[in-house]
Amino acid sequence: MTILTRSAYGEPGTSLDFKTGNWRSTEKPVHIHAKAPCHGACPAGEDQQAWFALLQEGRVEAAWRALVAANPLPGVTGRVCPHPCETACNRKALDGALAIHNVERWLGDEAVANGWAYPVEEPPADAPVVAIIGAGPAGVSAAYHALRHGMRARIFEAASEAGGLLRSAIPPTRLPRAALNAELDRVLSLPGIEVTCRARLGRDVSVEALAADHAAVLLAPGCQEGRDWDVGGSVPADHHEGLALLKEFMDHGQFPAAQRVIVHGGGNTAMDLCRLMKRFGVGEVTLVTASGLPGPDTATDDLINVVPRELEEALEEGIEIIPHATVNRLIMRGSKVVGAEVASLKKVPGTDGRKKRVTFEGTERVRDVDMVIPCIGEMVDPEGLHSWINRGYLRPSDHWGTLSDRIYALGDARGDRGTVAEAIGDGARAVAAVAARLNGGEATTDTRAELPASDLNPVYYPPAARSVAPKLPVSERTFEAEIEGDIGHEAALAEAARCLSCGNCLACDNCWTFCPDSAVIKTAELATDGSFYLFDLDYCKGCGLCAQECPTGYIQMRPE
Amino acid sequence: MTDATRLAELRQKFGRVPEGPSDPKPGTVSPREAQPRFRGLESGHRACQGCGEALAARLVMECAGPDVIVANATGCLEVFTTAWPQSAWRVPWVHSLFENAAAVASGIEAAMKARGKNTKVLAFGGDGATYDIGFQSLSGMLERYHNVLYVCYDNEAYMNTGIQRSSSTPHAATTTTSPAGKERMGKRHLKKDLVSIIAAHHIPYAASASVAFPQDLQRKVRYAMGIEGPTFLVIHSPCPLGWKHDSRLTIDVARKAVECGLFPMVELERGSLSNVMPIRQVRPVTDYLELQGRFRHLFADDPRAEEERAHLQALADYNITTYGLTGGDPDNADTVGTAAVGRGGHPAGRLRP
Repeated sequence: MTILTRSAYGEPGTSLDFKTGNWRSTEKPVHIHAKAPCHGACPAGEDQQAWFALLQEGRVEAAWRALVAANPLPGVTGRVCPHPCETACNRKALDGALAIHNVERWLGDEAVANGWAYPVEEPPADAPVVAIIGAGPAGVSAAYHALRHGMRARIFEAASEAGGLLRSAIPPTRLPRAALNAELDRVLSLPGIEVTCRARLGRDVSVEALAADHAAVLLAPGCQEGRDWDVGGSVPADHHEGLALLKEFMDHGQFPAAQRVIVHGGGNTAMDLCRLMKRFGVGEVTLVTASGLPGPDTATDDLINVVPRELEEALEEGIEIIPHATVNRLIMRGSKVVGAEVASLKKVPGTDGRKKRVTFEGTERVRDVDMVIPCIGEMVDPEGLHSWINRGYLRPSDHWGTLSDRIYALGDARGDRGTVAEAIGDGARAVAAVAARLNGGEATTDTRAELPASDLNPVYYPPAARSVAPKLPVSERTFEAEIEGDIGHEAALAEAARCLSCGNCLACDNCWTFCPDSAVIKTAELATDGSFYLFDLDYCKGCGLCAQECPTGYIQMRPE
Repeated sequence: MTDATRLAELRQKFGRVPEGPSDPKPGTVSPREAQPRFRGLESGHRACQGCGEALAARLVMECAGPDVIVANATGCLEVFTTAWPQSAWRVPWVHSLFENAAAVASGIEAAMKARGKNTKVLAFGGDGATYDIGFQSLSGMLERYHNVLYVCYDNEAYMNTGIQRSSSTPHAATTTTSPAGKERMGKRHLKKDLVSIIAAHHIPYAASASVAFPQDLQRKVRYAMGIEGPTFLVIHSPCPLGWKHDSRLTIDVARKAVECGLFPMVELERGSLSNVMPIRQVRPVTDYLELQGRFRHLFADDPRAEEERAHLQALADYNITTYGLTGGDPDNADTVGTAAVGRGGHPAGRLRP
């Protein structure tokens, strides 16, 4: 309360009586925790920004716990994921995206080495049980997330070991079996998860029987069945399908004899096959793909769907890649392939507005080859799933994977997936939907907007180059040794320090320091909106300085 | 009319009953009361939105207070902080005239000394009160070696009276008394090199600082506060109203002034250059000029505009060469290093003495 003094001067600090907040005309500052682009891009639903923040504080185990809240297999995805997070990273425009996959892998390996316990508890004995078909990444993720939601999980796996395509289709040079086994064993031995191997769908178990006595049945069988392939009606006598060839090689270490090979396809299986065959001693390996190579003019939906570093390594190793092309015709001598006609092809908009693939006349060229291997994707083995299969896949109706009331489809078997990370995300989503249904509600998705790079204030981030993990030189690459090395403790923490913390408060004090009206109040406790600052709207004049100078875009001006 | 009636009337017109963060519940401390910094200049002052001077004064008070007395010259700072019957200051504060802040401060300092007190005396003035009107009394204060820190909030024109040119207004800027038009491209004359003139008094410390680099600014204030004798600080403080830029761009504009070389950040001790803030990446002056309406005429399709842009670039280059503002390796105390933030604060804060 201001008391007038005899000589009519103002008492100290009495201007607080004068609320300048009513000067704001249209906008006020608000804290908005926008989605970091890495989080938005992650098919497994990881919030990379959140665990990098913990790493910045030096809390390595807490960072791993935050990571495995979404993805129980960071050591696996850190090795095999095409890391869309890094493609989305806002630091890309400054001095290179963060090496997220290297740090993710390092965290996964640290957890294995130190035996950190997964942040889950054993569900009660009478908890609902979900039945899961397939112990690949989708099935394992679903079982783990079932525990997180207080449910038990029972996995049925047709093979003799868990792992799915992680074991059968990814070469040890990308995913050493020791790393895979360590992480898988740790997840699958969690109390509350039960794994039955050699239990084949249609022979040992049936979806209907499982549905009768489980809270839900999650179908994650993967894709095992090669698509029919022929070129103009001709199928060579010694026809080999890509994935089968790869699996055979992983089991027996042999490829059929050939000197000049064309692999036709554009995924990781095709890429792995090319590299293994080249290393095995095949003279010329050519990849013919309908997609384009990464470049400034390549549209996202046209880009070859392989891990970027794999592509780079393949080119180093001398694999020839013919982008935007297809195998038009096989040249046969008897029933043996002696050549292939390759022609240019591209996706162009059709008259109905949808893109269609057009082969361009006059671009045909003939290659002398001994073998043409299709790697054009696989379909679901229909055994035991006949009533659910629709044109080769399970094709659920929504992103939760709903097939029917209590049956969900996950991972590659959905027909619209293609990465381990997507499969892991599917596991989490399907279980969230099951849990929500059991609780009588509906599962919700994170609908927050992503923070664009233009909302950051980059002047506050000093330049720092991306850390580089060691890599085996081409001459030393074998069939066993892992090609990409460990980034190491120091570089991992240095990489974490590069995180811009897009859309989330850094507690850097900029708003508190720069407010000309002292209308930003610093608090000792975390405020309800997750920051350490409050806006005192009694005095905020709405100049927008705090929003402009917030490095992370966490403060934004919004209409009153 | 009694004081109480008049006060009630003023309350009705200008204010509401205090509530919210500044109003502690009995027995508790409000979040505002609990701020981990000295609140020498409080909220509720009448500075315009995005005022650089209000920010600069608050930053100075944070690390100068609480045992200080402020003598304030006439100007925006005096007007917007002390609309009677209120005061935004939480330290003893006195205003006398436009031209005599340094003289008033000298007197207070002498009185304090006579009474055996160590209270530090600060004198605040704008560029009008420092470069022009109060220059004589400032020179006298420095010569008589009073233990006073004089802070000049430099917003490069007489903003309080309606944006008239001062001797601090940069060359080619438009003001109401140096309008750009057919005859001239804004102010004809140059900005006075006041820091050099002040340093020529052979005082212990004279420095320039900018609101865009608060860590550096506060380091300089602390250093000056520790010196027994006259010290001088000029703080570049953008004025959104007078410079005609968006209120949210105050810091951006101030930073670009430093990064292009037009406002060199220097420290002089006993008349010699003792330190500079290196510019890690020098930007062209147009990056700074294009943000401000007072330089808009320099972007007109006019050969004179091109010449003036080249002139300002030459002045910036001259500063960079004269003070040696570039040429080093990345440094924690250069323009990029000082601004750097990390989780939980400014790493550059560790450099504070």
